Amino acid sequence: MEAERIAFSFISLCLILFLPPLLDGIGRKVKARIQLRQGPSILQTYYDLTTFLSVEPVYPTERLAFRLAPYIAFASAVSAALVLPYGRVIPVSFTGDIFVFLYVLAMVSIAYMVGGFSLNNTYTNTGANREMMMILSIEPILGVAIGTFALNAHTLRIGAIPFALTFTVSVLLAYGLLAYSVYVEGGFIPFDVAEAEQEILEGTFSEYSGYLLGIFKWALMIKRFALLWLLSSFISIPFVRNVANGALILITQLIVLLLLYAGIAVIESMNARLRIDHVIRRNTGVFLCSLAVLLLAALGW
Amino acid sequence: MKEWARRIMDEKVREKYVNEVVEKFGDRIISVERNADNQWIIEINREDLPEVVGYIVNHPEWKETQLSTMAGADERPLRGKFSLIYWISINGASGDVFLGIKTYIPEDDPRFPAVTPVHPGAHWYEREVKDLLGLIPEGHPDPRRLVLPDDWPEGVYPLRKDFHYTDSPKREFTDETKYPYREPPKGTAVFPLGPYHVALDEPGHFRLFVKGEEIVDVDYRLFYQHRGIEKIGENRLTYDQVNFIAERICGICGTAHALAYAQAVEAAGKIEVPERAEYIRTVMAEIERLHSHMLNLGLACHDIGFDKGFMDAFRIREHVMWLAERLTGNRKTYGMVIIGGVRRDFLEYRRTMIEETLRKLREEFQKWVDQTLSTRTFIKRCEGVGVLSYRDAKRWSSVGPWARGSGRNFDARRDHPFAAYKYLDFKVPVHKEGDVLARCLVRAEEIMESIWIIEQALDEMPGGDILAEWKEIPPYREAVGFTEAPRGEDVHYVMTGEGNRLYRWRIRASTYNNFPSLPDAMRGNTVADAVLIIASLDPCYSCTERVQVVDLEEKRARVLTEKELIELSRKVSRRV
Repeated sequence: MEAERIAFSFISLCLILFLPPLLDGIGRKVKARIQLRQGPSILQTYYDLTTFLSVEPVYPTERLAFRLAPYIAFASAVSAALVLPYGRVIPVSFTGDIFVFLYVLAMVSIAYMVGGFSLNNTYTNTGANREMMMILSIEPILGVAIGTFALNAHTLRIGAIPFALTFTVSVLLAYGLLAYSVYVEGGFIPFDVAEAEQEILEGTFSEYSGYLLGIFKWALMIKRFALLWLLSSFISIPFVRNVANGALILITQLIVLLLLYAGIAVIESMNARLRIDHVIRRNTGVFLCSLAVLLLAALGW
Repeated sequence: MKEWARRIMDEKVREKYVNEVVEKFGDRIISVERNADNQWIIEINREDLPEVVGYIVNHPEWKETQLSTMAGADERPLRGKFSLIYWISINGASGDVFLGIKTYIPEDDPRFPAVTPVHPGAHWYEREVKDLLGLIPEGHPDPRRLVLPDDWPEGVYPLRKDFHYTDSPKREFTDETKYPYREPPKGTAVFPLGPYHVALDEPGHFRLFVKGEEIVDVDYRLFYQHRGIEKIGENRLTYDQVNFIAERICGICGTAHALAYAQAVEAAGKIEVPERAEYIRTVMAEIERLHSHMLNLGLACHDIGFDKGFMDAFRIREHVMWLAERLTGNRKTYGMVIIGGVRRDFLEYRRTMIEETLRKLREEFQKWVDQTLSTRTFIKRCEGVGVLSYRDAKRWSSVGPWARGSGRNFDARRDHPFAAYKYLDFKVPVHKEGDVLARCLVRAEEIMESIWIIEQALDEMPGGDILAEWKEIPPYREAVGFTEAPRGEDVHYVMTGEGNRLYRWRIRASTYNNFPSLPDAMRGNTVADAVLIIASLDPCYSCTERVQVVDLEEKRARVLTEKELIELSRKVSRRV
């Protein structure tokens, strides 16, 4: 048992660190094919990261916050991914880790804001500002969705929820909320307002370079991975949880994750970027709906 | 000639306008001269400038009338005076007339009352004559520099005849050299955009004064790449050579410039162009419009992150580029138009190829339009954004799709039929909403019209010569040449000179009339929309890069400082 745990934890750590660039590469390839382009190799994001990580950055400021922000983002994103289930194993699990998950996810965004606000630059400030509005409007929806699941499953361990879910009306609706909040928080088009390249030169990233930029981008990819892994676990595990073999569960999770990534690339290709006020209005509407879902869950439906 | 063209090119219709101006101002008019088929020059005193120009431009019954171009000239070697000429075009299919309001300004008192307070469309023109000729517009609301660089010394005016084209005054670029930007309004922050920005394909500096993300006001500085083309054209090149420089004014709408210039010289020299050449010119102008509009629509998609639309638009555009290459040998900068006609004939067996390409183009582009307009997020970003009211469009004398998206019913192809347009039928799409979406729709509909125009032209193209012979152009004649470039009316003013050379050449690209109205369209929108609005104006592009010195023998690269770069560039231009 202990051997399996160690093996799966090791595999999960490898997945968390090294799978996200591949997923990004797959997304790029899918988008290229939709645009009838050849597109780069699916390994391209690894090459990009290697280049970034081998270059000495330029520091536009002496502030420590600016240097630390990428590392904080990276550590937070990895911790968020570690509380999720990989097969039957959850690398880090304790009662109440559901809050930790939400908290460390928000930390990634906060690091992005800290980086942006540590400079006297309108582009980074605007990027940080937009990220703040995004996170304030979307995190409650994610919270309500996970809260609904937790009510249903009677556990505060996020990794244990999908193993104990029973399908009710509120749970099915919560799936919708989860999918929406994962998509928005992942910053996919049309919700990539905080890193909009043409409008604000990628916001906070406009002043980052070299390995700091590499780590920051990597952190954001891991954050996307954590969000989508959450969604893919919630989708796949309820169907395969009776299978004894943990490896099979892990493979199902991976397949669903790949399908999600490909699907997202399709949605991204079909959309233009929204404006921050559009996003806030939409998120507020969804949040109000999510309260109704929570009420349903509390009533036991 | 088609019925609609005959109606507006009628002599009685044309003379009506001239007569009304002459009647209204009576003895304050010094002289009236008809210098070309559809052009009259009315000479007045400089004190009357704002009143006369304002009267014609703001005439309540002449709806789409506007200031087309304005040229200052140093006529001291001829008359001992400077001259100013305001060219006003009567638009809206109500008569094919250009009125040139001319006035002379004495050398010892180079001042004139500004027209800008009466008609803001004169804003840039009057700042420009101040920069380049030293004629002071009195009462101009914004007397800052427009064209000359910040470190150019005071009192040196490059377009005066005593300034030789190889001259380069001593310039000191110090840390204190700064442009007097406007102070931001109270409670706003400055959001700088450019000169180099991923979404600006041309160096231009915008200072958005923002509250949060909302744009309260805009200040700008342009002319980073003023090349002094007019000066070279007036001093170094012959009539025929200028044609090829004219084509290189713009990387996108070169044919429009070459055509406008050729037509101006033809009007001044009374050169008859063979009919077949007119048809070929029309086809080339429309091919250019096709690729330019597709480029702009694609870039608008790119600016809001809709890369599928961007890639598709450019893929479809490739058909047009390929067609141009087969017809002229070049994808861009066709080199087709010369004074008196065109350089190459269309070969008869190419015709099926053109028709086949157009069929493919129409089909694929229609698909593109359907797909893009059914993308909800695209519509959401474009609808109600960057609204330019009809009043503002008219006030600033805006042209092209930028103005037609705001309800200005005006197109030089229809209102001043040039080349072969008078033999063809086509619609001028106009939308009234004035937002980015309206301008995109105007462009999309124009693409369909252009395809239709080319098809008609191919059907009706007569045989015969493609080039008229001309020997000499009499000196000191004035005329304007005009085309509808993809971005709107393009006007070139020429004054012929001696020795096969121009005396004065004034280029007015369409963006010149559109840019000053940009702040009006931007106010009240958000920073996120800024680049989209700029893209929907479709400014002309030309790209400049930072220069690196690479020593080939030592294989070392060194980046130049700003000062060294300026020095080096000057040395090179002096040698040329």
